[in-house]
Amino acid sequence: MRVLIVDDEKLARDRLRELLNEIGGHTVVGEGANGNEAVEKAAELNPDVVLTDIRMPRMDGLEAAMHLMGMENPPMVIFTTAYDQHALHAFEVNAVDYLLKPIRKDRLAAALDKAKKLTLQQLHEINQAQESPQARTHISVHLRGNIRLVPVQDILYFMADSKYVTVRTTGEEHLIEDSLVNLEKEFGEKVFLRIHRNALVATGYIKGIEKSTAGNWQVALTGLEKKLDVSRRHAAAVRRWARR
Amino acid sequence: MAFDTSKLATWSLQAREQFTSGARLLRDRLLPRAADVTGRLLRLFAPAPATTGDDTHFLPNFCRGNAIGGIVLIAELLAIVITLVTRRISENLFQDLLLVSLFVQWIALSGAATLCAARRFLDRLPNSRALGFAYLLLLGVVLVVSEAAVWVMWLVGMVGSPRPEWYAYFHIQNFTVAAIINALALRYFLARHQLRQRTLSEARAKIEVLRSRIRPHFLFNTMNIIASLIRSAPDKAETAVVDMADLFRSMLADSENLVPVGNEVAIAKKYLDIEMLRLDNRLRVDWHVGKFPRKAVMPILILQPLLENAIQHGIEPIPTGGTIDVQLREENDIIHILVTNPLPRARSKPAMAPLASERALDNLRLRLESHYGKAARIEIVQEPERFSVAVEIPIRGETA
Repeated sequence: MRVLIVDDEKLARDRLRELLNEIGGHTVVGEGANGNEAVEKAAELNPDVVLTDIRMPRMDGLEAAMHLMGMENPPMVIFTTAYDQHALHAFEVNAVDYLLKPIRKDRLAAALDKAKKLTLQQLHEINQAQESPQARTHISVHLRGNIRLVPVQDILYFMADSKYVTVRTTGEEHLIEDSLVNLEKEFGEKVFLRIHRNALVATGYIKGIEKSTAGNWQVALTGLEKKLDVSRRHAAAVRRWARR
Repeated sequence: MAFDTSKLATWSLQAREQFTSGARLLRDRLLPRAADVTGRLLRLFAPAPATTGDDTHFLPNFCRGNAIGGIVLIAELLAIVITLVTRRISENLFQDLLLVSLFVQWIALSGAATLCAARRFLDRLPNSRALGFAYLLLLGVVLVVSEAAVWVMWLVGMVGSPRPEWYAYFHIQNFTVAAIINALALRYFLARHQLRQRTLSEARAKIEVLRSRIRPHFLFNTMNIIASLIRSAPDKAETAVVDMADLFRSMLADSENLVPVGNEVAIAKKYLDIEMLRLDNRLRVDWHVGKFPRKAVMPILILQPLLENAIQHGIEPIPTGGTIDVQLREENDIIHILVTNPLPRARSKPAMAPLASERALDNLRLRLESHYGKAARIEIVQEPERFSVAVEIPIRGETA
């Protein structure tokens, strides 16, 4: 099988590579040091299996796996971890395979033999079981079979139309298949504030709230010329937020 | 008068016989019973084994046999006390005791039954309110049973009317005694509950301290690294194992231990060597260690947790890593420690729970307080891209 190894510790990656050599029959197609690299390299190299650590800088292994599941042909994922009580319990419950560090050769071989594709549902439940369930750090955008990771902190707003949600950053616009309700629930109103039935804006980018000449409230965002309308239903909540 | 020695001998023989048979009786019959009673009393007052259900509520489960047994015993002791201190109500003491026992047991068992029935309801209340409700319920039981007792006496013909002249006195007396006894009993249950809670939380705190010191995540990751090194660089693996042993020995040491500043620095450096294996070139450390009097000592493992905190929150979450700056110097008999680490870009998700950092520093603060009282200081400075912890501790161990 074609394997992608992801761990932020170089020696941990070396160990996996050596163990895979000894087991035989597998090719290591690449290595990554964090979740972002896992997603980018997986999109580029199309591995059969991704072996990933859970705790990593920038994006952790769980989130990376979630983004991978959005791929056209998602790889199988096996998690490796030193010690994550809460996650381990969730792995057991959701029948997701994992390897404990220090990693044993026979366990690794067995895991590769019976590796199966994960579902988003399984990953969500594992994330919920974490000590503090975490929102994604990135939104994955699919462009002609490729994956683009947009850091959540770069996003100005989400705008929904009939079928898609538009993700707007200072420089770009992307379409994703998600719902504002889900996004709102995931990130909470500290990060994204609902200002309209079809719009969530990043609180960190709100420059001001003003009244337009037409008499309705509008939100001005840093790095964006156009102002976004606040619906009458959400006006009170938005102004309450502004007073804080 | 002639003294009959043979008679004296017989008496003394009889006396001895009686004495031994009495002793035998005491040994064979009474002692086991006394032991039994003592055992029961002890069991009554011993904290009940902690079960998950009993954990949060202070009232024992009055639906269970052993709790009811305890109640009956206490009620009987109370009945004896009452009989002994009150004036006669019938021809002899035993009849008094019988009547009083009947009445007191009636109240006690009704009270237990009421609490058993109300258990579901009481368990849902916060402790203070459950306490109040239980108290009111028990007093209500006393009123009802006292009233019922008067009626029973009237029905069996012991008194001429359901309102004898001592009617009011009877109620007031029962109510007052019950108010006092129940308050004492509930107070006892509450105290026992608090004691149990404290014991439990102390045990949990001890485990927590040990776990926060040893940090399983670090332990197992390092084991994994060592397994990797054994193949590629056995000499490095050897150093790592030896360093780990030293580090764990000091982690397991009594936290009261004072060590020379040099030793603390050495342990911290061994710890950093291990972390450098793990984090590769992501971790860089700048050391600035000043001169210390040779005999200067400090509590063990003050510096290492600061470095661990800096790595966990400043180096690990940044893909390219960073530099930790460590300063140690002595000034006016005060040891100054300053550890500064970079912080990941704002708003990006920290790889670990941010609370852990506060907990680690809180632990340190508590330890310093227990060693030095107000004389030690720990100060945290958080800037957008830098985080530093300054610790000041009085120098010790110097023979002036």
